[in-house]
Amino acid sequence: MTHQEMQELYEFYALGLLEEGERAEIDEHLRTGCAACQSGVRRAKVTNAAILSFAPDVAPPKRLRKRVLAGFGVERVAWGWIAGWATLTAGLLLGTLWFATDANRVRSDLAAAREQAVRASSEAARVQTVLDFLNAPETRQVTFGRGEQQQPPRGSVFVNPKSGVLLIASNLPALGEGKTFEMWLIPKGGAPRPAGLFKSDPGGKATHIAPGAIDPSTSAVAISVEPEAGSSAPTTTPIMVTSIASAP
Amino acid sequence: MTHWLMFSVVFPILAAALSFRDDSDLVARLKRRDPDAMSELYNRYGRMMYSLILRIVRNDAVAEDLVQETFLRVWNRVHGFDQDRGALGPWVLTVARNRAIDYLRSVQGRDLESPLEAERMENPSLFLNLETDILNIDRMRRLKTAFEKLTPNQRTVIELAYYEGLSQTEMSEHLKQPLGTVKTWVRTALKLLREELEEQQVVA
Ligand SMILES: [Zn+2]
Repeated sequence: MTHQEMQELYEFYALGLLEEGERAEIDEHLRTGCAACQSGVRRAKVTNAAILSFAPDVAPPKRLRKRVLAGFGVERVAWGWIAGWATLTAGLLLGTLWFATDANRVRSDLAAAREQAVRASSEAARVQTVLDFLNAPETRQVTFGRGEQQQPPRGSVFVNPKSGVLLIASNLPALGEGKTFEMWLIPKGGAPRPAGLFKSDPGGKATHIAPGAIDPSTSAVAISVEPEAGSSAPTTTPIMVTSIASAP
Repeated sequence: MTHWLMFSVVFPILAAALSFRDDSDLVARLKRRDPDAMSELYNRYGRMMYSLILRIVRNDAVAEDLVQETFLRVWNRVHGFDQDRGALGPWVLTVARNRAIDYLRSVQGRDLESPLEAERMENPSLFLNLETDILNIDRMRRLKTAFEKLTPNQRTVIELAYYEGLSQTEMSEHLKQPLGTVKTWVRTALKLLREELEEQQVVA
């Protein structure tokens, strides 16, 4: 091969697509230290990468991230939580369905069954929303309540600058009659802003999403107990405050 | 900003991966076996790998398996990668392509000679001092335009090489065309594409 002919083959050489003879000839030539060809092969790798990147852009399924990373022990925390929560949700669903069947037997009430079905499907939609939130690459996790108080709420706050804040809490205190939990987003140096009302299940667990882009000045998330209609500013001492300022 | 947005729609993958990233810190973390670095690697390159592999194998489930294999291979071989001089994007793309081509070859019962060669070519020590900075927005756009302007025959041979892993001899059989004709298509197509990067480097 002439030098010129070799230069025309660098891309295929870098792809490993040359016939044995051509490849050996280029290998040998490169070993002589020809700077032009060494640089040409490097350039060919860049060209190849660019051409490979022209493959039609397709978003991988969200589960793939979990699957890939689970193999490296990266997603253990999130996985553990999802598994636990999925189990809990399935339990709730089963309980709901069983209860529906039981109610049907007693009352033959089709409307009740339909209502339960609606609840079940909205529960599924909720699971999906939460999973989507957790799977978003920008979502950050902040855990709170590791043994500071006697029976503090425990859990995680997931922060996604574009999608909002997701709270997963357990060990929440029992709510009195006519009371609710309220979440607050606290800007640095500013007054807490209401971020939605939620209740816990009988075991003291709750999941709450405050959807929407987060004000970049937000530095903390808090929960307080409020009258059922909610408040525009906390009226009781928050039962939980956690900083969500970006960790380095 | 508008410029950037437009680009990121046309080349979302490239915008993220090939030219604007300084991956040296990520590579250093991978070499330290920091598991969180894998998460970052996925953020930067997962979608690109999946798109490329899916284009090659055309099967979602297989593509997912191969993305996983690609990550495993990157994790296992990254110690041979030079964080200061290595180009991570081109390397992971090459590793991803090779996994997918290996798969194609195995299901098509094709010989195993060339994959060994491809494997030699994916050695991380060979991805040093690549001028990935030539892949800026304008050059990438022009390269893409040139790619789209190839004649059908030129484009076919490029796709057979990059996405099917066929050598020129295999293409000649596959397309039932004389080897000389195939070589002309390949040579012309590569010249047109290469020029988009070379000419601009002179301008720059
Ligand atoms: Zn030379």
